[in-house]
Amino acid sequence: MGQSENLQRVKTYIDRMPALPVTVTKVVEVCNQPGTSAVDLNKVISVDPVLMARVMKLINSAYYGLSGKITSLVRAIIMLGVNTVKNLALSSAVVGNLGKSGNFQTLNAQGFWRHSLGVGVTSKLLARKRGVDAKILEEYFIAGLLHDIGKIPLNNALADQYVEVMAAADRERLPLIKAEKRILNIDHQETGVMIGEAWNIGANFMETIRHHHDPEGYSGDSRDLVLSVSAANYFMNLTEVGFSGERYPRRMDDEVFSYLGVDMNWLDEIEDEVEAQIQKAEIFLKMAE
Amino acid sequence: MKVRFWGVRGSIPSPGPDTVEVGGNTSCIELRYNNHLFIIDAGTGIKFLGDYLVKTELQKGSITAHLFLTHTHWDHIMGFPFFTPIFIPGTHLDIYSPVNYEDDSLESIIGNQLSYRHFPVRQAELSANINYHELREESLDFEDGMRITTKFLNHPILTLGYRFEHEGKVLCTVYDNEPFRNVFPTDPANPDYDAEAAKEGEQAAQEENDKILKFYQDADVVIHDTQYTLKEYRESKIGWGHTPFESAINAAHKARVKKLIFFHHDPLRTDGQLNALLTRYRKMIAGKTNMEMEIAREKAVLEI
Repeated sequence: MGQSENLQRVKTYIDRMPALPVTVTKVVEVCNQPGTSAVDLNKVISVDPVLMARVMKLINSAYYGLSGKITSLVRAIIMLGVNTVKNLALSSAVVGNLGKSGNFQTLNAQGFWRHSLGVGVTSKLLARKRGVDAKILEEYFIAGLLHDIGKIPLNNALADQYVEVMAAADRERLPLIKAEKRILNIDHQETGVMIGEAWNIGANFMETIRHHHDPEGYSGDSRDLVLSVSAANYFMNLTEVGFSGERYPRRMDDEVFSYLGVDMNWLDEIEDEVEAQIQKAEIFLKMAE
Repeated sequence: MKVRFWGVRGSIPSPGPDTVEVGGNTSCIELRYNNHLFIIDAGTGIKFLGDYLVKTELQKGSITAHLFLTHTHWDHIMGFPFFTPIFIPGTHLDIYSPVNYEDDSLESIIGNQLSYRHFPVRQAELSANINYHELREESLDFEDGMRITTKFLNHPILTLGYRFEHEGKVLCTVYDNEPFRNVFPTDPANPDYDAEAAKEGEQAAQEENDKILKFYQDADVVIHDTQYTLKEYRESKIGWGHTPFESAINAAHKARVKKLIFFHHDPLRTDGQLNALLTRYRKMIAGKTNMEMEIAREKAVLEI
C-alpha cells in the first residue's frame, strides 16, 4: 500500500486514538468513583502513554494559553482540577472500549504497556543517578512512557501490514524501525511525531519520540532526555522487560552510555527496581478486575 | 468606573423574607465607564438590569453592551433568556466567556437555554445582534483606554477572573474560586504518600495561588467569592470551588487591595448572618490593615 494511503489511515486513527486496553477498566473504575482521589488518578494516568499524552496535550493547549509548558502530571491535576482530568481520562477510556476488539492486533497490548512503563521507569532512574534536579525527574518518566506511542496507530490502523513488518524484522534480524520504513513507508518515530504535533505534547517529548533510535548524532536542546530514553529503551529491549516488537535492537554507540555514565552492570543493579515498579502498577490495575 | 450590583447570590436564586436586604438574585454586575456598558455575568439579576435598560435607555437609542461571563455554570447564565434587550432589534451584544475543553461552543452553551424544552422562544428568533467570543488568559483593549486582563481561577469548570483597568483605577472579580490546594497526601504515614508528588503538589498549589494574588495586586476594588466561612469550608465544602471569608481577607490584605467586596453569598445565608459576619470580620482586622470590607448588596452602587 502506498505511503499516502497509509498516512491517511494513521491520521484518521490518531484523531480517535483510545487509551490502552490494559488500563481501561481501571480508568473507568477510578473515574466513576464519586470523589475520585487525585492519587489514584495520578497513578492510572501515569501508566498509560495515551492518557499521559492527552493530559499533556490539554494543559499545554490553546484552551489554557498558559505561558511555559507544563510537564508534570501532579501540577496538571492541581491546575486543571481532578474533575477535568478525570473526564478527560474517562472519555479516552470510553473510546478505548468501543475500539477494543480491533486494538493491538499484532503487538500485544500487555507487552507494549510493560515495555513503555519500563522505559519510563528506567529513564527516571537514570536521571536520578545522574543527579538531575528532582523537579524535572517526572519529565524523564513521561518521555520514556511516550517514546513508542507512534507504534499504536501502526499496530491498529495498519494492522495487516504490521504483521508483515514484525515477520520481516524477525526473519532478517532487523531493527523494527527499518522493517517499518521498508514495508509501510513510514516508521513509528514519524507517526509518533504526527501524534505529538496533532496533540501539541511539548518540544522535549517530541525530541525523544523523534530521535530515540538515533541519539548519537543528536545535538538539540534535549540531549540529556533523548540519550536517557534511548539508553533506557535499549536496556528494556535487551532484558525483555515487556515487548514492543523489537527483538534485534541496534547496538548503540558507547558514547551514549559513557555520556550517561552507565554500563551493563548498572542495568543489573536496577533490574529489580524496574520490575518492582511495573508490578506495583500491575497490581494497581488488576484491582479493577 | 461605576459599579451596580444586580445579583449577588451564589448557586441558586434565594428570594424570601430572610434575604430581602442583601438580595436573592444570582450573579450580575453592571459596570459603566464613560458611556460604555459592561455586564459581568448573566445570573437572574440580569433580568432586572434588562428591564432597567429598556425603561431608562432605550428611548435614547439602541442598547450596546459587552457581557463578560466568569464561567458557564448555570447560576451565572440562567438569567440570559430573560434579558429583554436580546429580543429588541438594534441591540448589539458581545458575549465573552471561557469554555471548557470538552464542551460545545459558547453560542450553543448559552443558546441551548433558548430551546422549546426550556423556554418558549428559540435562539434563532432573537432579534439582537449577538457576537460570541471565547476567552482564555489574555489582555484585551476596549474603547477609551479600558484594558481587561483575565486569569484562570480554581473551580470545577474553566473559570476566569477579570481585571478591569481604566484611568489608573482597577476593579477585579475573583469568583467562583477556591484557593488552589495540594490534592496529594503530605502525611508520610498515609499509605498513598509519595514524597515527590507531595512536594510538587505543595509547590504547584502555592505558585498558582501566588499568581492569583499577583493578578489582583494593588486593586482598588476586588469582588471576591466568599461563599463559606472557614469552619463551614473545612467541615464539608473542600473541593466545591469556593473561598472561605478568612482566606479571601488574608489574601486581599497581602495583595494590598483597597476595598474587598464579599460576593457569591451562600443561598442559605440570611441578611442577619451576613451583617453579623461583616461586623465580626471588620473587628478582626481593625487596626491591622487599612483595607475596607463590604458585602455586595443588590442595587448597591460603587464609584471607583
